Amino acid sequence: MSVITDLQISATDRTPEIHLSPSAGVFSMKGESFPEDVSAFYGQVIVAIDQLAAKLDKPLEVDIAMVYINSSSIKAMFRIFEGFEAVRKAGQAVNIRWHHQDDDDIMQELGEDFKDRFPELSFDIKVL
Amino acid sequence: MEISQAIDIRNAMQKSGVIMAYNGVVSDELMVTLAEILKSRLEGLDDTKRSRTVFSVFMEGMQNLIWHGRTGVESTGMVCISEQDNEIVIVCGNRIQREDSVKLNSVLEQLQNADKDTIRQLYREGMSRSNEHEGPGAGLGLLEIARRATHPISFAFTDVDATHVDFFLAARI
Repeated sequence: MSVITDLQISATDRTPEIHLSPSAGVFSMKGESFPEDVSAFYGQVIVAIDQLAAKLDKPLEVDIAMVYINSSSIKAMFRIFEGFEAVRKAGQAVNIRWHHQDDDDIMQELGEDFKDRFPELSFDIKVL
Repeated sequence: MEISQAIDIRNAMQKSGVIMAYNGVVSDELMVTLAEILKSRLEGLDDTKRSRTVFSVFMEGMQNLIWHGRTGVESTGMVCISEQDNEIVIVCGNRIQREDSVKLNSVLEQLQNADKDTIRQLYREGMSRSNEHEGPGAGLGLLEIARRATHPISFAFTDVDATHVDFFLAARI
């Protein structure tokens, strides 16, 4: 069986911390996102996510906790969610937990927007 | 510039409650620098919800300037944030091709007349549109601004020459 390697990206002032472990069945993304070059930053993540559907042998647990995310990063995140949807269609459960600060309407609403666009995914919006 | 002209600018800024104003070359680096300054200014607001909204609108406005304000190699534009009567107004301006202003005008009129639910629906559709900042309809950045503003967005076009106009967009928060 082919193995996909883990992805571990540390946070910077303008890019989030991202962790993907296909063997453990976890994906997390936390922090701020307004990279200078969105394609350069998210390209590797999207490539890794797109391989999951064919290779994952357990459910995928997803934790997302963003503080600020710009509109072009949201489009990249949409591509990541398309990868989650492909995993679900391939037969594995995907459990998304979308975390936001208590008074952060912007992140709460964005969670609702993703939930609306991906109605088949198990999707929890939670206060941090 | 004569000192008297500088005084006029200062007086005009003071009168309209300017928190931050910039006109000239815009870049990613400038956006990050101004964002830092704005963040520290907003900490004094004592209203974190409103601070987040102002920050978000500012960031999308600046990114629009960087992408659409290209005049040759560099991008140029203006951004002005002011506070008056407990209302923060963010205005962005940049030069665009006259031919592009026709489509932009109709997109903005549509947004101006749309209610919050319609804007949110357009936003949800915009999330899956590719990152080419072209295509039909309003870009996601513009939709973000329209959605966060507490009043309908306002805008203006002013003549420059036969092929260019200046475009200004204002959001109230």
